[in-house]
Amino acid sequence: MGHTPEATRRILADPKFQSLASGRARLRWGLSILTLVMFFGFVALISTARGALAATVTGTAIPIGLVLAFAMIVLVVALTGIYVLQSNARFDDLNGAVTREFGQ
Amino acid sequence: MMRRFLLAISIAAIPAVAAAQSGATAGRSPDWIAIGMFLAIVIATLAITYRSAGSTKSKAGFYTAGHAITPLQNGFAIAGDFLSAAAFLGISALVYANGFDGLLYAIGFLTGWPIVLFLMSERMRNLGSYTFSDAAAFRLERTPVRLVAATGSLVVVLFYLIAQMIGAGKVIQLLFGVDYIFAVVGVGLLMIIYVTVGGMQATTWVQITKAALLLCGGTLMAIVVLWHYDFSLAKLFAAATTVHPKGTAILAPGGLFAEPVSAISLGLALVFGTAGLPHILMRFFTVKDAASARRSVFYATSCVAYFCLVIPMLGFGAAAILMADPSYFNVGASGQFNKITDLIGGPNMASIHLAHAMGGPVLLGFISAVAFATILAVVAGLTLAGASAVSHDIYGQVIAKGSASDAREVWISKAAAIAIGIVAVALAYAFENQNVAFMAGLALSVAASCNFPVLAMAIFWRGTTTRGAVAGGLAGLIASVLLVVLSKTVWVAVFHFSAAPFPYDNPALFSMPLAFAFTWLFSVTDRSARADRERRAFDTQFVQSETGIVLPLTEPTLVRAA
Repeated sequence: MGHTPEATRRILADPKFQSLASGRARLRWGLSILTLVMFFGFVALISTARGALAATVTGTAIPIGLVLAFAMIVLVVALTGIYVLQSNARFDDLNGAVTREFGQ
Repeated sequence: MMRRFLLAISIAAIPAVAAAQSGATAGRSPDWIAIGMFLAIVIATLAITYRSAGSTKSKAGFYTAGHAITPLQNGFAIAGDFLSAAAFLGISALVYANGFDGLLYAIGFLTGWPIVLFLMSERMRNLGSYTFSDAAAFRLERTPVRLVAATGSLVVVLFYLIAQMIGAGKVIQLLFGVDYIFAVVGVGLLMIIYVTVGGMQATTWVQITKAALLLCGGTLMAIVVLWHYDFSLAKLFAAATTVHPKGTAILAPGGLFAEPVSAISLGLALVFGTAGLPHILMRFFTVKDAASARRSVFYATSCVAYFCLVIPMLGFGAAAILMADPSYFNVGASGQFNKITDLIGGPNMASIHLAHAMGGPVLLGFISAVAFATILAVVAGLTLAGASAVSHDIYGQVIAKGSASDAREVWISKAAAIAIGIVAVALAYAFENQNVAFMAGLALSVAASCNFPVLAMAIFWRGTTTRGAVAGGLAGLIASVLLVVLSKTVWVAVFHFSAAPFPYDNPALFSMPLAFAFTWLFSVTDRSARADRERRAFDTQFVQSETGIVLPLTEPTLVRAA
């Protein structure tokens, strides 16, 4: 419709901004879907395969379900870590460049 | 003047609390170590508040500590805000009573955090300044959207606050032998002082102190428990399953997630509710930029995850050690007792009794004081979030249309904090003996079904219009409240009807999609000129949400024909 302010359109057309926005969107939605699939998959596993989760890990007295639960906790931290490291490495510089070029 | 007021209050309050303790210690000898540590925490937090008193003159200072908190500090403060007494005492009690299922609950709480990080933290910081409604109403019409968001915030804050206050009253009553009313009034008074005198600066440091105490206390207890079992998890589990009435069943999934509809519904409320809690979202504005907001969530997630690893040790440890010792139970005349429900003070006291069993009065005193600090930090954060919804969203933006002076808005906020504190104390007193288990669940469901959908749709979907956001937010809010009232936890447990019309405990599976569907439906059918303007403004919002560059929403002078 042509009402978008000129300044906004210039940034939207900037290749650096485009690569920042699309790269971040891929990381954001990819990791979000992974997290949700992991959590709700775990919930589904619990409501369908309770017996299997009660079996112990071979050679120990520790059940598989408990190991999976602790693994989930570690994985959640790993996922947030991946997001932060990727953002620090890839997006902060791009963001800085875009801000220097177009910011006030 | 504030400082003098604070000094007067603190001098007046301490002897009153001490007197209450020495006066009402029926059934329990005065525990001077616990009382000493409790007083140390009260004095330390009041000192923090006193030092922060100068920071609350401006709006930015009062709501956000001048955006000057570092990511690490903010990470700890977020963890301090989030890990309530319900999390510390409640989840260890769930593990104590049910084993594995308690751990699942903790994982649900934790899984909200990556979602907060990926979807919320950076965009919130880039779009807003003081409350999450700033981001929700960025390109939409101020009055209706802020009213819906502020209503959602206040409902969440009040229910959460009442649940916390009742829990706090009970815990303090048990720990220190203080009357319930003194305990609730004391907590209410302290949280009002933190917020009105010290604003976000004081609230943040109370939360950091609490997070550090909680993590240290939890670690200490876990080490002591593991040490007792030669640092062997297998020995700990073996000891717990031997004495637990449910035996080896505590090491496997039980009833909590057994029924898939309830499981998914609870999961949704836990995961997306976290992303809609106003006191958590507000914390992103205390740091200087989006990159700092992102880092603070990583630190917070690490703290919460560590806590989720430690807390099952306490639960299993409490089962293994306490259940073998009748002196921690109300033993009936026949010598029989229920190993879960007859625990003195109820299962929520499992960690506290464990501290006594493992480290005598010194550890008991320390862990009791940690539980107390935990309560204080959460209620202070909630009060500040509620007060800013009233002063910034309702007064500043809706009533004064953004033209109120800083001083006036801060004054309103302090008045609102006092009012919220008084209401919370009164309701906590009125509901003392009511079944309030539904309240924390309701708060999370409303956060997941009203705050989260409105915010997510406004910041991620170009098509969202004011009409859609308002319809969606109200649908989510009304549906979640209504379904909770019609569920077993209220309909049967509170109103004493025989059967509940809504068969599940948690409404999120129904109310959250409803909110998204309403937002979508009422947006796509919105053909008004305002809706067109709002959709076009998405581009500018998108640029600012990604980069933090502030641009005019519309071309100021030039209006071209379409």
